[in-house]
Amino acid sequence: MIGRIWAIALNTFREAARIRVLYGILVLVVGANLLALVLGEMVASQNARVARDVGLAGISLFGSLTAIFLGVFLLYTEVQRRTIHAIVSKPIERWEFVLGKYLGMGLVLTVLVAVFALAMIAIGGGASSAVTKAVVLAWFEVLTVAAIAIFFSSFSTPFMSGIFALAMWAIGRLTPDVEAAARDASPWIKAASRVTLEIVPDLHLFAVSGRTIDGEHVSVHADMVSWGYVGMASLHGVGWIVALLALATLLFHRRDFV
Amino acid sequence: MTRPRYPAAALGDFAIDVRDLRKTYRTPFARKKVEALRGVTFSVERGHIFGFVGPNGAGKTTTIRTLMGLIRPTGGAATILGEAIPSRRARAKVGFLPESPYFYDYLTVGELLDLAGRLFGMPAAVRKRRADELIERVGLGRARSQNLKKFSKGMLQRAGLAQALMNDPELVVLDEPMSGLDPIGRKEVRDLILELRDRGKTVFFSTHILSDVEAITDRVAIVARGQLQATGTPAELVKRTTLGIDVRVRLPAEIDTTALSEGASRVIRSPDELSLMLPADADVDAWLSRAHAAGAKVLEVTPRHETLEDLFLRQVAAADAPKESRA
Repeated sequence: MIGRIWAIALNTFREAARIRVLYGILVLVVGANLLALVLGEMVASQNARVARDVGLAGISLFGSLTAIFLGVFLLYTEVQRRTIHAIVSKPIERWEFVLGKYLGMGLVLTVLVAVFALAMIAIGGGASSAVTKAVVLAWFEVLTVAAIAIFFSSFSTPFMSGIFALAMWAIGRLTPDVEAAARDASPWIKAASRVTLEIVPDLHLFAVSGRTIDGEHVSVHADMVSWGYVGMASLHGVGWIVALLALATLLFHRRDFV
Repeated sequence: MTRPRYPAAALGDFAIDVRDLRKTYRTPFARKKVEALRGVTFSVERGHIFGFVGPNGAGKTTTIRTLMGLIRPTGGAATILGEAIPSRRARAKVGFLPESPYFYDYLTVGELLDLAGRLFGMPAAVRKRRADELIERVGLGRARSQNLKKFSKGMLQRAGLAQALMNDPELVVLDEPMSGLDPIGRKEVRDLILELRDRGKTVFFSTHILSDVEAITDRVAIVARGQLQATGTPAELVKRTTLGIDVRVRLPAEIDTTALSEGASRVIRSPDELSLMLPADADVDAWLSRAHAAGAKVLEVTPRHETLEDLFLRQVAAADAPKESRA
């Protein structure tokens, strides 16, 4: 079983590594980090601060966008190009295939996040416990977003999957703002926002720097969350990943490959 | 029409056993139903070469994809090597070549076979040895280092055959294996199928090329409009009945052939020849005497027996007839 899943994951990694857009994104993120360096020079003794802020925002934004891009295309093209015919006719279960595709994407995204983080550290962000925690949180955010994209991709076209995944990502990131906005709204809007927030992963848990959590101001430059918080947020992400992949498998299992 | 026989053996005693298999596609919004399979029943004995023949849209590929677990049937039952479909355990013992195969074009044929071997759970050393053997066997030794993207259709078909044989399968299912191959390639595939049968394997393949079916199959099934029209050995299906007598004579251009052509079919008149088919019950001696009297020289007289192609065309026409009569 592990061998089959690994075979699919490895092949997915190989497939994704050929997508030129990813190299464009890499250049873009490293470029953004270099820009941060220039901006930091303009604001005296703020190099590291600007580099960290831009670097972390880059990991979160470009990592999530790449996760959506890979998630909506890689599964869909297998069906569209019929490459899946020679695969699922082998002794592999469909859930193994979906999991293998996800792990392959996860591998690509992990490499991307690692490169982004190293670029940030090298350019001036510097490595610290707070930065490591922020990078781990951003990594789990990206992995959760990949699971959202693959879930939609199991039954929809790349365009629609992309729209749905982007919407979920935006709502997930803005959960506290949506909650605050709905507080004084009509009961209908309150109920609708509550239902929406229930079915959307709390992605805001992964973007903590600059926010107030439990009355404490959190910042990657000063007082960062504890490793306990990082562990709990990561577990939250893993829970969503498992649930989304299970749903994706269920939908994928019922599909005819004509 | 030869009705399918329902063997007394229980489901599972055959390499493939299909009973009343049905597949209906429903479009979600138009609420339109398309019946791709309308109760297909046949069985394939172990160690046989079984040809599955039908026109485009007959249901051949749908049947094969259903057997391979790519499509969920809406009715009926089927077993592969004794296991009810879809069965992962059965697929471990089956090799499958999809129709017009599409593979990851960034892989080389060796990498494709390695991926197939991994999915079959084969150890690395066995994968390597088996891939090397098969690449040579299907004649892709020279293209070993090329990406599949650079392969021609025929080369992809060969790569597809190799990945289908990676696990040394008990049953080989080939959807249009001759497609895209030149005459030499087709002969090589025919030889490969015969070799597999000689090694005790079962081969189930679909094709449009009837001469291949007639030449190598133990049994044939003809499918049209989602239903089985006939099944049996080629000899059982193609009766030795004479359809007519093909006659070809040399005849000067100025001779009127109206009288000689009376009652005949497929009449072709060239400047110095006349060829036609006389009815099976025609008095050939009398016709030849008349031709001699007219100054003809006989070149050829051949009784024409029914071929698998004739049977195929008849069965397909019969399957289409109810639709046309309704129209």
